[in-house]
Formats: sequence, C-alpha cells, structure tokens
Amino acid sequence: MRGPRTTVERLDRPSAYYNSRNKRRRPDHQRDGDDDASNHAEPEDPLRDATTLYVGNLSFYTTEEQVYELFSKCGEIKRLVMGLDRFNKTPCGFCFVEYYTHQDALDCMKYIGGTKLDERIIRTDLDPGFEEGRQYGRGKSGGQVRDEYREDYDEGRGGLGRAIQSERLRDTERQDRDDGDYGRLR
Amino acid sequence: MADYDRRRGGGGSGGGYNSRKRQRYRDDDGHDDDRRGGAQRRRYDTPPHVRIRKQLLTIAENPMRPWHEEVRSIADLFTSNWDDELLRGNFVDVILQLAVEQPLKAPFLAAVVLVANTNKPEIVDMLLPKLVANIESRIRDGEWRDVKLYLKLLACLQSCLEGEGVFPVLEELFARAGVLQTASSEDTIGTELVKIILLTLPYVMVAAPDQWQQKAADLMDKTEIIASEPHTLQALIEPYHAESPDDTSASSMSLIGLLQNQLQTEANNGWALPCLPRPWEFPPEDVEQQTKLSNPPKHTLPPISVPEAVVAGPRPLFPEVYFSVYRDQDVESVPPVTNAAASLIRDALLDTINVLDFNRNITARQLIEVDCFFAPRTFTTRATPFDRLRDIEPPKSTWKPEDIAVDAVFSQLFQLPNPEHKLIYYHSVLTEACKLAPAAIAPSLGRAIRYLYRNIHHLDLELSARFMDWFSHHLSNFGFTWKWTEWVDDVSLPDLHPCKAFIAGAIDKEIRLSFAQRIKNTLPEPYQALIGPEKEKDVPDFKFANDQTPFAAEGREIAGLLKRKAPDEEIQPVIERIHALAIDNNLDPLVTSTDVFVTAVLHVGSKSLSHVLAAIERTKDRLTDAGAASEAARQQILSSVMDYWSAHPGVAITIVEKLLNYSILVPSVVVNWTLAGFAGKTQGDALGKGYIYELVFNTVMKVTGRVRQLVNKKLAAIGTDDVTTDDETVEQEVKGMRSLFRDMEDALVAWAQLSKDEMMEIGDGTDRTEKERMVKRWGDRWLRVFRRRAAIEETFLIEKEREREKRVAAAAAAEGNNSGKVDADGDVVVVEAAVAPADAGIL
Repeated sequence: MRGPRTTVERLDRPSAYYNSRNKRRRPDHQRDGDDDASNHAEPEDPLRDATTLYVGNLSFYTTEEQVYELFSKCGEIKRLVMGLDRFNKTPCGFCFVEYYTHQDALDCMKYIGGTKLDERIIRTDLDPGFEEGRQYGRGKSGGQVRDEYREDYDEGRGGLGRAIQSERLRDTERQDRDDGDYGRLR
Repeated sequence: MADYDRRRGGGGSGGGYNSRKRQRYRDDDGHDDDRRGGAQRRRYDTPPHVRIRKQLLTIAENPMRPWHEEVRSIADLFTSNWDDELLRGNFVDVILQLAVEQPLKAPFLAAVVLVANTNKPEIVDMLLPKLVANIESRIRDGEWRDVKLYLKLLACLQSCLEGEGVFPVLEELFARAGVLQTASSEDTIGTELVKIILLTLPYVMVAAPDQWQQKAADLMDKTEIIASEPHTLQALIEPYHAESPDDTSASSMSLIGLLQNQLQTEANNGWALPCLPRPWEFPPEDVEQQTKLSNPPKHTLPPISVPEAVVAGPRPLFPEVYFSVYRDQDVESVPPVTNAAASLIRDALLDTINVLDFNRNITARQLIEVDCFFAPRTFTTRATPFDRLRDIEPPKSTWKPEDIAVDAVFSQLFQLPNPEHKLIYYHSVLTEACKLAPAAIAPSLGRAIRYLYRNIHHLDLELSARFMDWFSHHLSNFGFTWKWTEWVDDVSLPDLHPCKAFIAGAIDKEIRLSFAQRIKNTLPEPYQALIGPEKEKDVPDFKFANDQTPFAAEGREIAGLLKRKAPDEEIQPVIERIHALAIDNNLDPLVTSTDVFVTAVLHVGSKSLSHVLAAIERTKDRLTDAGAASEAARQQILSSVMDYWSAHPGVAITIVEKLLNYSILVPSVVVNWTLAGFAGKTQGDALGKGYIYELVFNTVMKVTGRVRQLVNKKLAAIGTDDVTTDDETVEQEVKGMRSLFRDMEDALVAWAQLSKDEMMEIGDGTDRTEKERMVKRWGDRWLRVFRRRAAIEETFLIEKEREREKRVAAAAAAEGNNSGKVDADGDVVVVEAAVAPADAGIL
C-alpha cells in the first residue's frame, strides 16, 4: 500500500485474482498481520514499477489495431502481445499491453479497465511483465481456461465453453449412434 | 471474472445499468449506509471508531435524511465515545482526509465538528493544530488545491474561532499575491492565491453570517485590482478562436474576474448565497441546539505561517476561463455567469473530479448526486427533461443537476493548455455517469454535443480535435448510437467545412475502435458514401500487384525476398536495378527505390501491427540508410506509409510513431511532408483532415515530451553524482524543438496568409474565393495551436531555468557548509519523470 488508506477504493490496485495467486505462492505472507508485521521486511512488490497490463475479456475478433487505438489514449504503447490459442495460434481473447512508464499503466487501470473495447467490457490487471510462453491459453483445448466450461453463449468468444461444446458433440454423436443402432435392431 | 465484476460494478456482459449489480457494488464497496434496505444491518460488535469512519465517509449522501439529524447523530456518537482514544484520533484524521479527498462534503464535516464542539470543545483544539500544520505544509509544496480545500473546512468553522478567525490567513495570502503580481504581469501564483481567497470567502460568510461584511469588503477591494486585470496569458488559453474581430460570441471570461463580480453582487445582497449548504443550522423546533451553536466555545486559531517566497508547485499554473456548453439556451439549465452559484458549484465539482481520478465510479456518482451537497431547492428535480424546464414557475429553480455536472466535466475536457489528468479520464467519468443514470445524463450529453458541433467553427482546433476524440470514444461505449440524421444535410458540405471535417474525422475514429462494416450499419444512407469499399478491406491493395504500376515486377520481387527473410545482399541488386530504371525514366532513383522498398515492407507486414513492426525491425538498417540519403527520400518513406494505409490512417499514425522511435524518420520530416508536401498537393485539403492534425500533433508532443524529460532529469541531477544527462544533449534537443516550431510557424503562416503557389490552380470565381477563405482559416487555426504549444514550452524552459539556478545556489551553499547532503527536492522529479517514453531513446 502506498500512502494512507483512501476514503474511496482505488482502481489502480492489482485484482483479487492477482493477490490470491500471489498469496498461494507466499504462504508466509499473512493477510491479517498483527501489529509487528510492519517490522518484518516488506517483500519486494513485483508490481511496484509494473508497466505491463494483462487485458482480458476481449472478443476473439478484436484486432491489435483496435487495442492500440484505445490503449494509446493512456500513453505510448511499447509492446503489445496478443494472447493466442496454444494449438491454432489464433487470438483467444486476451493480450498484454506494455507501456513505457508505470504511471501510464496505473492510469490505464483507472481509466480503461471496465470500459468497452469492440463493444465488450474489458478487464485490466497490473502484471509483473510478459514472459515468453504466457501469450498462449492455458485451457485444455488451447484457449483460456475460462472458455472451457463457460455455460453462457458468448458470440465473441466462440460460443459456449469448448469442453461443454465437445461434450455435447459427443452426446449427439452417441445419440445418433444409439438411434442408428436402435433403428437397425428394429 | 466474477470477482472482477463485483469489485468494479457495472461490469459483466452488455448493459451495466442493471440496478441489482449496482446495489451489490455499493454493498461490497463499503459505501452502503442505513439508507438501503432500511433495516439496521450493523452488527453489535462493530467498534465505534469503525462506525464513525463509515458514517463520516458517506455523510450527506442520503437525500432522505435531514442534514441536522445526520450531523447530530454522528456528533453524538463521537462525544458519547469520547474516552475511546482510537476513535478521537481517527475522527480528526478522517475529517482532514475527507476534506481534501471528497470536497463536496466539507461543510457537513464542519457541521459535525461544530455540534461536537458544543459538547466537547476539546475536539476543536485537537483538530486545529493538525489542520494548520497541513495548510502550512501544502503552502510550502505549492499544493494549492489542498490549501484551498483545507481553508474551506476552516472557513466553515469560522463561528467557533476567536477574533477574526480565517481572515488573517486570507490577508497574508493576499499580501504574497500582491507582491508577485507587482513583480511580473505574467505571474500565475498570485492569480491562484486570489482565486483561493475569493473561493474561501463565501464559506466564511455563510458559516458566521452578519459579522464579517466589512472585513470581506476590505479584502475584496484589494483583490479587485488583480482579479479585474486580464491576465497576459489569457489569450493563449482562450477556448474560442474568433473567425473575425466582430465574432464576439467567441470570448470567455476569466475565472477570477467573474468571481470577483459575482461576489460583489453577493456583497450587495447581504451575502445571501442561497446555494451553499448550512448543515449547522437546526430547525426552529430544535431551539436548544441552535442556541448552543450560536454561542459556541471559541478557540484560537494557531498562527499559519506563509513563507515569503511561495512556489508554483508540481502542476504548472495558468489563468483559467469559465467554459460552459449550456451558455446560449433560452431557459437557464445551469446558473448564469452573473451568479456566484456558477463558480461555487463548479469549483466544488472540479475539485471532486480532479481529486478522485483514482475512482471514476465514485466521481460519477458524486456528480449525479450533486444536489445532495448543496442547499435544498438549488436545483430542479433530477432527470427533468430540458423541455419541461419552461413549465417551471419562478422562483423555483430551473437548474438541471445533470447539466451542471456534465458542464463541469466538459470544462476540464476543454481546458487549455491541458487539464490535470489525461483526457481519457474525463471520457471515462462521462461514460460512468451515463451508465449510472442514462435517462438523466444522456440527454444532457446530447445537448452538449449539439452545442459543440454548432460552435465548432470557432472552437480552438486543439479542442475540436479533443471533441472528435471524446465523441467517437464515448459512442464506442454505447453501441455507436447517435442521431446522425440531424446532421444529414451537412454531409454534402465541402470537406473543408468544419462540420463536415468533424463528421469525417469522427467516423474515421469510430472505425478505428471498431470496423467499417459495423459503423456503416449505424449510419443513415447519406453517410454511407463516406465509407468507401477500401475501408472494408482487411489488407490494403499492394499497388505492385498490378502490372500497370511502374516497377511492379521489382516491387513483387522485393516483397517475395522480404517474405522469405532473404539476406540484404539479395535485395541490393533489385534496388540497383530500380535505380538504373528510374534514371532512364528521368525519375529520382533514391525516391523511387525508397517507395518500392517501403511499400514492400508494409505489404509484407500488412497482416497486423506486430507483423509490420517485425518487418521494420528486420529492415531497419536499410530503411535508416534510405532516410539518410536525401530529404526527398526521407519524405518518401512517410509518403509511402501514408499512401499504403490511406484507408486506415490510424495504422499509419502508429507506424510513423514507431519509425520516429527508430529515428528512421525525424520530426521535421513529418512537419515538412504534411504542411508543405501533402497540404500543397491537396491544395490545402490536408489541413482539414483530423488524422493529419493528429499525426503532426503527436509528433510535436513527442518532441516536447522528450525535452521536458531531459530538462527534468538534468534538474534532478544537480547536487548528485548523476552525469548521464550532459548539457550538450539537452541543448541539442531544445534547439531541435525550437527549429521544429520555427518550421511550423513558417509553413503555417504561408497557409494562413495564402501565399502558396498551389492555390493558383484552384478553379475560379466564387468557388475559389470560398475555398481560399476556408484554407486560410484552417491555416490560422493550426497556427494558433502550435504557437501556443511553442509558447508553453518556452514558459516551461524559463521556469526550469529559474529552478536550476536556485538549486545550483543551494547545492553550492550546501557544499560550502560541507554538509554533503543536498535536499534535491525529489518531488518534482517523480511527478515529471513520466512524460516521454524513457527508452524510446532517440526521436
């Protein structure tokens, strides 16, 4: 935390998602530290000078050019890495935007996160920095994990979750087969 | 994702207007209070200091709860837990923090203190020393807004202060302002001080009525000299740019000049100030409390020391003008400029907007709920349609709260030279406000858009570009819906007409955030022709694919080589062949080969920006050599980029930005190509194109940002061992910047006076005169923007030079004392280090 607690929440903080993942990695870092927690050496905050943002909930069809157009409003973009399906190498709905300054990244959290790009509300999260390999989806079928079991139909992200889709496909196939078998028996 | 939505509210797919979500958001945010659901949800174990914090944080937000009740209940909670040490300390800290973080709430906080004072006078003795210490430290740092906000809180406490209370501080501040203004007519700190004095005064007058008229009159006699004098820099920041000397509608009033007059009117009316809240006034049935408040225990305000030399602080100060998008209506939907309410409400809203940039949702909510924080009956009911204002019988107010809120945001969006935060922050506030209360806000935005469109011909060009950028970005958040039908007749206007230029520029920007087909579907038929088939292609045509194009074979060959990443040695022979052919055809060989090569690179990288950036990275040596060969070849690089991506200028602009980073292009090439080359070729039409302005503006900002970064870095290095920024580099950059501005001045003066030969070729008769008039006007508008930018940078350099001298002297003094450590005042460095891309390095 920088400075005293503000009277309204700040939008330029890392998300609950980031914090929860981080906590798991550092089990010694207690949330409800007692008073002498301040005496412990604060672990170096990997986001202290973060210039990179993870951007999520993009449509699969959103282009780099569109991302540039919106995100440049917070400062010049140093690098943009589109998230790709691990197998098809097609966009799978996220990207990393790197700015030249930490301030631009914070401003992006405050002013762009939660607004629309390509008519979808996008989310931004501060990120310690892009590393090779992170541009690929970690889901079983190559895309993002959240697109595996998603139950709502999202046109911009390939319809239903992929696992559900393939399950249904199997069901239909089985049914077809069953129907067929049934038919033949008659 | 779910977590995220809950945290932010308004998220999820689509809508965001859904009230269930907003409710949930409020609950989670800890901003709920007793008003929702009615039932007391508070648990018995919540400690008093937590409860009191929560209640102070949400003070005055509930329109159903009478102020005096809320104020008393908080004060009672406080005094009845007086023994709780944690609570006592927290109380003071929260009040001081809220005073500067949520400025609309200051009078209500003061009321809590005043009521608590009648029971536990010690509270004021606890508060005052801390308040005074904060004011002093902010004065030292030049944090003038904080100074103003703390003084406002203090002013509201005037009734419990001994002697003259706040007045000695105001007089002390005026003394400094007087000295500064006498010393220099360009001084802006003195102007700022006068603004603070004038904005504090009304709060004193309502906090302690009927006591200070004479004092106020004396002070205002003094401020008048400074407030009524037009500031020398005002012409520079005037948002309107008159078309002719008799275009008087296009002039704004200086903020302090206006304020001075408004307060004079108030003084003549016995300081009625009906808009300001008086939460310390209790209803007649509560005469006991009122009596106590009228004769409160008094406290001596510790003296506040103001240093002899006051500083400008981290943000550059400029005089301010009062800007409103609702100024020429037949019914007053915002306070008229003659009324002090216009300035007082605006000031509180602006502080709220600029302080709370770290949570635009809360900013938007406070804007929508502005009527909670001013006296009852100041405004009409929320979301009253504009057409219904006419039916309101006087003396009832016709001021629409949403108009006043939206107006305040626009005044920032259209502030010259720059508002405090990035422009996109103000976009995001309007977006959130529109999401929170679409029925109330959207019509107000519509009327603002119409006002700006109607006045676009005499809006400063920089501001009309901001308007275009905001408009397209805003629509992109709301399904690109706009009543385009009402501007249908303007589609047939000439491209150089400001309205038509706006339409074309806005549509281009919409397409950049979306795609051509989508935008086409949102537009009525007459607009369709503005989106040609080339805009719907994913990838532009490669001109060398057509055999009719000269050098088609060579172009294809180079593209083929680039595609398979052939070594440069294989490309060289083709280039040489082009040179030979060009000479045979009486063409400039370098220009010709540059065009073929650059176009081939663009074609190979046409799939996405990553592709083209990778292609440029691979060929940057050859591109740099091409650019170094001749001025004509340098311009050709830019020309090829703009040409290849002509259907998608946004892509071209990004590519040029990266070419500048690589130093393949230099800023002067951008300026010369656009203002001499392209503008000439198009007989001035280029000057009316939004993306051409954007290209030049971005380039200039890149140069000035770089200079600022270097100057600040050098300044920070004084007294340290840091020698990375030598004087020569800085001088070189400053020289480069000045010469760029000079080039622009020369080129633009030529357009503004139309001494260009190119214009000779335009047809004759009235058409020609009309076109000439329009081109001249565009030249004039461009000239104004870049003269202002040049002047601002010169001001910056002068200020920094003064600061440098000061620091060198301080460093020398420290050296002499052999103290070793120099206070290098890190603040400035931190604030300004973020101007330009740090490792873009070269320009």
